Amino acid sequence: MSLKRAILLLMLGGAVVPAIGQQIELPGSGRKTDAGNTARAKVDETALRYFASQGDTRRLEAEIARLRALYPDWSPPDDLFGPQTDVELQRMWKLYAEGKYSDVRSAIATRQSADPSWQPPADLLARLNESESRRRLINASDAEQWNTVLRLATETPGLLTCPNIDILWRVAEAFTKTDQPPRAIDAYTYILNNCNDAAERLATVQKAMPLLSDEQIQSLLKLERKDAAGNPEFAALRDDLIRRRMGHAAENPEYTVPADDIKRMEELARKGTTPGDPLLLGWYLFRHDEATRALEWFKLALDRKGGAKSAEGYVLALNFLGRSLEAEPIAFEWRDAAPENNKAYLDVVIALLTADPPPVLDEIVLTRFSPVVMRDKYVPGAQGLGWYAYNTGQIVTAQSWFETALNWDPNDEPSAYGLSLTFWRLGDVARLNAMVQSWGQRSERIVALVDPVVRARLEARNAQTQTLGGLRLDPLVAAANRLTPPPTRQPPPVGVPTLGPQSARGYVRGAQYAPVPTAGQVAQFQPIPQPGNAAAPLAYQGAPYQSGIQFPALPAAPAQSVAQASYAAQPSYPAADYVPPTPRRRPVSRSVARTGSTEVGATAASGGAGAVARGWRLLDLDRPMEAVRAFDEGLARGTGRVAEDAAYGKSLAYLRLGMTNRAQAAALEAPQNPRRSVQLSGDLLAQRALAAYKDERYVEAIIALDERSRIAPEQQDLMVLRAWSYYKIRDLRSAERIFRALAAQGNAEGHNGISAIDAVTKKYRT
Amino acid sequence: MASPTTAQTATPIPMEAWNGYMARFVDESGRVVDSANGGISHSEGQGYGMLLAYLAGDRSNFERIWSFTRTELLIRDDGLAAWRWDPNSTPRVTDVNAASDGDLLIAYALARAGSAWNQQAYIDSAKKIARAVGQKLIVKDGSRLLLLPGISGFSASERKDGPILNLSYWIFETFPVMTRLAPEYDWAGVANTGLELLSIAQLGPARLPPDWISAPAGKPVTVAEGFPPVFGYNSLRISLYLLRAGIENTALQEPFRRNWLIDNGGTPAIVDIPTGRALTQLTDPGYRMLGAVLACALNATPIPADLRRFEPTLYYPSTLYLLGWALIAERYPKCL
Repeated sequence: MSLKRAILLLMLGGAVVPAIGQQIELPGSGRKTDAGNTARAKVDETALRYFASQGDTRRLEAEIARLRALYPDWSPPDDLFGPQTDVELQRMWKLYAEGKYSDVRSAIATRQSADPSWQPPADLLARLNESESRRRLINASDAEQWNTVLRLATETPGLLTCPNIDILWRVAEAFTKTDQPPRAIDAYTYILNNCNDAAERLATVQKAMPLLSDEQIQSLLKLERKDAAGNPEFAALRDDLIRRRMGHAAENPEYTVPADDIKRMEELARKGTTPGDPLLLGWYLFRHDEATRALEWFKLALDRKGGAKSAEGYVLALNFLGRSLEAEPIAFEWRDAAPENNKAYLDVVIALLTADPPPVLDEIVLTRFSPVVMRDKYVPGAQGLGWYAYNTGQIVTAQSWFETALNWDPNDEPSAYGLSLTFWRLGDVARLNAMVQSWGQRSERIVALVDPVVRARLEARNAQTQTLGGLRLDPLVAAANRLTPPPTRQPPPVGVPTLGPQSARGYVRGAQYAPVPTAGQVAQFQPIPQPGNAAAPLAYQGAPYQSGIQFPALPAAPAQSVAQASYAAQPSYPAADYVPPTPRRRPVSRSVARTGSTEVGATAASGGAGAVARGWRLLDLDRPMEAVRAFDEGLARGTGRVAEDAAYGKSLAYLRLGMTNRAQAAALEAPQNPRRSVQLSGDLLAQRALAAYKDERYVEAIIALDERSRIAPEQQDLMVLRAWSYYKIRDLRSAERIFRALAAQGNAEGHNGISAIDAVTKKYRT
Repeated sequence: MASPTTAQTATPIPMEAWNGYMARFVDESGRVVDSANGGISHSEGQGYGMLLAYLAGDRSNFERIWSFTRTELLIRDDGLAAWRWDPNSTPRVTDVNAASDGDLLIAYALARAGSAWNQQAYIDSAKKIARAVGQKLIVKDGSRLLLLPGISGFSASERKDGPILNLSYWIFETFPVMTRLAPEYDWAGVANTGLELLSIAQLGPARLPPDWISAPAGKPVTVAEGFPPVFGYNSLRISLYLLRAGIENTALQEPFRRNWLIDNGGTPAIVDIPTGRALTQLTDPGYRMLGAVLACALNATPIPADLRRFEPTLYYPSTLYLLGWALIAERYPKCL
């Protein structure tokens, strides 16, 4: 195409795009653009002539279009291609055309210095100004100086044309960054109405997508045109729009996307090889309560190297589905990738620690969690470790963790409650009372540990409120709640243990990979003593159990009466009758093998191990007193597994002797593994319940049974004990419920209990 | 507006020297290149370049440097210049924070050139920058009116040992001009704070001002944490700035005189503040010119023969050399 023909075409039919400068006016500034730019008396044709002389068709066409836009009556001069006279000015235009604006400035100043009367053509100055402003605007936009962008756009409206589409985009972005989305939409609308380059039109919507809302984008899509083949020009953006909708709904679960969107996304996710789409699907589904489906997509995203977000989603989904044990190693692996991953890891472990019933956790779960908790002084973590230790019968460890949590946050009531529970369990009345003193105003449940009236009130309230099934609670809150006075228990159906079959299975399975705590490992699961910590746990070992002498008086037993005499008979299981089951012992040789590898250690241990073996034999012969001495010897000479066995044997021996408190003290002489601790704790608590009942401390008996029932199923004999305890404190409704359940199972004591209640109620009515 | 400065008559920087500087440190886009710092540019360098171009009477290259400065650095929303520009980065502005000495130099050069060459556009731009400095970088702290080194990172609210100040950012000759450009701000108060702090911040055995100080209201001035505890490349120009501003204060010049002229035979040095020991002798003619200017001003000592000819070396000492030369030519011609 010849140059002249091009000019002709432009003059005849070329669309002239008006600048949108006038539309872009900074709000409130009221500033108008410099009228001098547009209201020139004479049309400056120097640039036109320069471009013509250079044969620069593209610039020439643009210049003609520009001048026609500014001066509708203007037409290009006939002598456009005539000879040029001003060589210096020619050079200035040349420098301008090369983008050397500083050189043009310098050349103008040089000429003005030599010839003060010389004025550069106004058009050259205007163009130079515009070009410098263009650069400056881009620099300001790159540096996120949005007000400068808008100020320059306002001062230089000539920039706002389709050939400068990048400038239009930057101005639109500046509007969104200065909270003026309607002005941004104006800019995008201007482009889609006036600019015709297909690629730039598509890019315009893409640029707008991250900056505008869904509705705003939809309004822009109304300006969609058909391409040459008759297809909608933005078809390629449909998938992006789905991604965008889904992303938005994933972040704001109150929104959902149509099922077609999900279907399309699943197609894309399967087809693709990148983690982005599966990850998006995962989050959307997870946030819309479809954790099972989400899990698959998170897994795919993770397999496609989707990084921290994929790991986080995968972990959260597993945790949500109750598969926290599976989640833990992945959560641990990714914990340092991002703060969210650290949070997910902490959540997973806390879910494990506070699960009901407590799972048997691999030692590594605890040993790698504890340092994280210590490092971050993470109160919920310390509290969770406290509950786990407590629920697996490691009372002293629990106490240290609760104390640690309280050191970090002295106002953390659940930790204070946990600590109080450990004092209660350890029989440390003085410190329990001290807790009641300082927390009495703030925690009813702590008071309930020593005050039966408060306890009864709390029980009644909990009975009403604990029916909020299905509500997802903070696991830590739930863990503490489970230990607050529970509603009076419904007796379980025939043959079903209180905690349900699941827990039993849990422990059996747990036994297969029960942790093998060595002294060092156990120490890691315990908090490093803090400077502020009170006495070390060992201090409690020797504390004699004070039998609750400082506890408030228990409800007085009803006056002796004929009716009562008939049922005052104690349930028929005196202490001597209650023989805790002797668990199957580990072969001693195996224990020795595990204690150590060095010869010295082995020798020392085998000495201890021999004593322990002797202890077990004596216990088998039902000579518990002698067994205690043998186990003592084992404790003195053995370490690690041997010491643990010895302490365990010793406490079993004391149990056999009916010496509950000594049994408890003995159990603390060496750390016990969780499974064994549970058994031991269960036995100890049963013994304690019985002892309390015999001493007519019925509330304590019930508390002990409550404690025990959380870690082991309650057998019928203990249910009888519980029912009579309720009877004694005149909670006849609870007592009757249990007696009736027992009677339904053919238990004679059940019938006795019902008769006794009948007698009492009849008497009270008369 | 009335002329902020008297019209330029003679040019205190010889054209030959200036041409040497231009050829070495200013590229054709008008960028003043810091040759010792990886070829980056900064607002301070652009301001120096403009001031030197004015002092050399070079309108053409003043325009060149100003064009670059305006287009590339003067992009901040608050009207101040971004301080750091790196040709090897995208975007080029690698730190959009401002540096107050750069803004003062740019505004000052614009104002002087504007009135000497009758360019109202320069004066308008100078006013805008002066107002932005007044509004954003002058802060009241206790009883002191401070010039913060930059917009972010230095104030008392941002650092617990704040405010952090750089006394070499007090370019005293600019303050009277700023007063004419933006009379609504108390530039004389700022200048007084600078003199007060200079008299206080004579730290260590050498009693020299550290480059960066911590100056909390009502507390002693100390070396700012996290900065090298030195009298270094920043502070060494303070002596020249005082002389260029015509501040006749021998007490403030005394530590410079003792360290440069008595202890080190006319050669400035980087001095470790805690020990007072010279860490590096600064033998570049540009640095030695600082000692020569001081000796001239205090004792009328003639400029040594080997410093009478300008040889561009590195951007920074060469700049100081020309500023020193301009001062001698204008105020102490007897030393030549």
